Amino acid sequence: MKCVRVLLPLLARDSYGDPLALGQAWGLRRTFSCAQTPNMCLSRGFRTSMRKPTSKPAPTKREEEAQPNPKSLVTFEDPFKRFDQDCRNKATFSHVLNVFCKKDVRRRGHVEFIYAALQKMPEFGVERDLRVYNALLDIFPKEVFVPQNSIQRMFNHYPRQQECGVQVLEQMERYGILPDAETKFLLLQIFGQKSHPFLKYRRMMYWFPKFKNINPYPVPYPLPCDPVDIAKLSLQRISADLDARITVYQMPSVEEKTRITHPYIVGIQSPDQQSLLQKHSPDRPVYVEGPFPLWLKKTCVYYYLLRAELLPPGEKEEEEDIDPERNFYFPMQLDLDLERDLGDDDSFDVNEVEEGPVFAMCMVGSEDQATLAQWIRGLQETNPILGHIPVVFRLESGPLKIQAETEMEETYEEEALQSQKLKQ
Amino acid sequence: MTSLAAARGEVGRLSGRMAVVRGFLRGLTGPALLGLHRRRSLHGAPRSLAYAKELFLGSIVKEEVFPYPEITNEELNEINQFVGPVEKFFNEDVDSKKIDHDAKIPPETLEGLKSLGLFGMQIPEEYGGLGLSNTMYARLGEIISLDGSIAVTLAAHQAIGLKGILIAGTDEQKAKYLPKLASGEHVAAFCLTEPGSGSDAASIQTRATATADGKHFLLNGSKVWISNGGLADIFTVFARTEVVEDGKTKDKITAFIVEKAFGGVASGKPEDKLGIRGSNTTEVHFENTKVPVENIIGELGGGFKVAMNILNSGRFSMGSACAGIIKKLIELTAEYACTRKQFNKRLSEFGLIQDKFALMTQRTYVMESMAYLTAGMMDRPGLPDCSVEAAMVKVFSSESAWLCISEALQILGGLGYMKDYPYERYLRDCRILLIFEGTNEILRMYIALTGMQHAGKLLTEKIKEMKKGNVGVAVGMFVKKLRDSLGRKVDFGLTGKEGVVHPSLEESAKKLEENTYYFGCLVESLLYRFGKTVVDEQLALKRVADILINLYAMTATISRASRSMRIGLRNHDHEILLTNMFCSEAYFKNNYLMAELSKHAPENLDDSIKKIATTVLDKRAYVCSHPLERNF
Repeated sequence: MKCVRVLLPLLARDSYGDPLALGQAWGLRRTFSCAQTPNMCLSRGFRTSMRKPTSKPAPTKREEEAQPNPKSLVTFEDPFKRFDQDCRNKATFSHVLNVFCKKDVRRRGHVEFIYAALQKMPEFGVERDLRVYNALLDIFPKEVFVPQNSIQRMFNHYPRQQECGVQVLEQMERYGILPDAETKFLLLQIFGQKSHPFLKYRRMMYWFPKFKNINPYPVPYPLPCDPVDIAKLSLQRISADLDARITVYQMPSVEEKTRITHPYIVGIQSPDQQSLLQKHSPDRPVYVEGPFPLWLKKTCVYYYLLRAELLPPGEKEEEEDIDPERNFYFPMQLDLDLERDLGDDDSFDVNEVEEGPVFAMCMVGSEDQATLAQWIRGLQETNPILGHIPVVFRLESGPLKIQAETEMEETYEEEALQSQKLKQ
Repeated sequence: MTSLAAARGEVGRLSGRMAVVRGFLRGLTGPALLGLHRRRSLHGAPRSLAYAKELFLGSIVKEEVFPYPEITNEELNEINQFVGPVEKFFNEDVDSKKIDHDAKIPPETLEGLKSLGLFGMQIPEEYGGLGLSNTMYARLGEIISLDGSIAVTLAAHQAIGLKGILIAGTDEQKAKYLPKLASGEHVAAFCLTEPGSGSDAASIQTRATATADGKHFLLNGSKVWISNGGLADIFTVFARTEVVEDGKTKDKITAFIVEKAFGGVASGKPEDKLGIRGSNTTEVHFENTKVPVENIIGELGGGFKVAMNILNSGRFSMGSACAGIIKKLIELTAEYACTRKQFNKRLSEFGLIQDKFALMTQRTYVMESMAYLTAGMMDRPGLPDCSVEAAMVKVFSSESAWLCISEALQILGGLGYMKDYPYERYLRDCRILLIFEGTNEILRMYIALTGMQHAGKLLTEKIKEMKKGNVGVAVGMFVKKLRDSLGRKVDFGLTGKEGVVHPSLEESAKKLEENTYYFGCLVESLLYRFGKTVVDEQLALKRVADILINLYAMTATISRASRSMRIGLRNHDHEILLTNMFCSEAYFKNNYLMAELSKHAPENLDDSIKKIATTVLDKRAYVCSHPLERNF
């Protein structure tokens, strides 16, 4: 350590005229953002110019071109509108950003531009792309807005710019994008340590990771496109039983000759449900009910249940007594006349909400009785008892209206998926 | 072979002597015997021994366990004359390594065992067996256990395989089957376990249906993991039968004696196992096997009780068997530790090595004491029910054996891990002890629940009064609590002038008494809290069982050491040392367990345990994120 301390002034003296060389000699790398690097000195000059308006930096060539008619109206053209729907993607979006950065070293109007870009992001399908957000932040001139003294720090230094920075982070938050080290570095470079955007960043970094895995049943992103796959996923989600078996009773297909479409039928049933159905008395009907909605993020799917009514209290089966000759090794119950003490009775019913048993679930491609009847026929193969139990269809027509909406929803989702694909 | 012939001759002589011994009552010395008779006449009813059960009520029935059971000199001579040839046979004619490697006991070895009479150790002499008492059986078990495969083969044959005929068979059945089984001409197997049924009687699928003439049953089904399945000629098979009860037909379990000669019996290929590889374990299939009605053991539909009795009676011998193994291992490892030098010091001089030897010695002493105390209790006249004690012996000794053998391997270092040496075989062989004859978990439930049932019956009234808010009972409880908290001296009369414990063990006896007293209080509070739903509190029951096992182990060692001290056996001071050490350890363990069992004890982590297990089992996987995982 000591020799290093001796070396340091020596080296410093050697490379006195060239501080960059010193940095390189010590392996210190300053990361400059790509768009900003060539203008670094210039923007530095800008900051000083803000403090001392008298000393003007030498105007660049392009500025000179812009100067001749300072008072004329500037025609404003939305750079994002140049691209029509088909070619709106990440590449074109980045292109617009690049064009903006290159157009003007001073980045005049960058706040407005960033606001506009934020708005257009979903259209370009880049609203979930961290790199694009970083590129957006990169548009801000660096070090200009960093407060230099305590007075600046005390008051809201460059409030419009800070507010804009916060908005960028806000939108990231809305789409669940976690900032990374580059974001942090950019914010520090643009606004400095004690600024609102950086505070926002820190809050995001505190809460985001904590909430990231809070959902014990995460919905995969992106959702699969195939409706059969979505149906499988949703059914597994509802049944929440690792033993449950998914059966695809029918794959979607179209017959060439007759033009008859066969909708898909996907069902799920667990062994427990199977044995429940086995025990069901053939005198009581079972019901096919539905459709019931299930939301997977923005997608809504519908499922149907095969269920029975709850037995009336009088007919409830008594819990079977355990046969005393059941266990070869130890008694399964004690012959005692003592109940559990109140202090240790942890079982309590909120309201004793009981529902009838559910025997199976399914999702189908077309919501009509014929398709559902086909599902029941398929179920019969594994549950022969269904042949003896009357099956009643209690289908609600209400959700059809919602269905129409969902179709819209689905087209939207498809769009999103398509753009996703394009992006990839 | 010469040694075999000699052994055979000796056995022949011995059989003659056995008749002389038969006249003596076994298991007790004169005065103790008188005492027993007196007590029996007082009670009048067929006595059932209840030392362990009484512990649940917080009392020590010292007559049951003091003095430590002894055998007569004649019996001792007799058994010693037995031990010699058997030991010689095992040392010279049994090649355990080869048995383990080939996964087969060679026919000559089996012949040797048969000629020594080891296939009929507990079969009465009138049927051609040796007619050994439980104590003597335990003694021979010590030697037989030196080869795990042989021990299991013999145990499957006589501890469970033919036990059904022995304890519940008719005279005709005994006369027909026992002689050939005793000589080893026929080998027996016990067929209970099925692919879908371990301890659950309801899931037994093998079915016996009566034929039209009512003289036969047709047996259909498969059994798995049957020891001796491929060797056996006689099977004790448990199957469902239809029984008419109160006008309703019900399915009940019935036990049958099935000869291989009946036809339709097939055994699968021998299973490849971790340990006891030489023992023959196979599947057994029955297909329309015609079993005559006379071959029902016990009565039709009474198979459940038969199975329970067989299983309960076979366990006590494991204590002495484990002791035999570890005594042998102590010799082998001590030899190694005293010769191997490291850093110019013998291994035996290192504290950590000495620690292991102390542990092995102590555990061996305890399991030996428990095993022979239990065997002695079982040998007493009447039909003593020692199933709880036997289960405790099994649990303690199997777990100690696993621990001790593991420590022995640790002493040996890398040597113990090598297949060229016998040590790793012992480790593999002894792993099964924790599993078969009722897993230790299941037996803990049995131990705790049997005691809870006993205590519950007697305490129900009192607890009900307390729950009703009876002032008298409540005040009584309060006074008792107050006295306890003011430093109660628990005295069950083990020590002192009229005491049965030697003064040098007074401390240990006091600890036993104190533990027992508070254990009684604890059982009462558990019954108060959980009532009959205590069945579902498995974590609490496990601790109850552990405390009881410790109490019984303390009793056994104190009783044995007292006797050794009193009659001046060699190295009795060593026994005192072991006993006092074990009792102090057990005392602290018990206190800790009892603190855990008391309500709202912070040491009790049951809730966390349950929560963790549920989370993992819901996902059926380890759920924690990998330590290298990043969230941003």
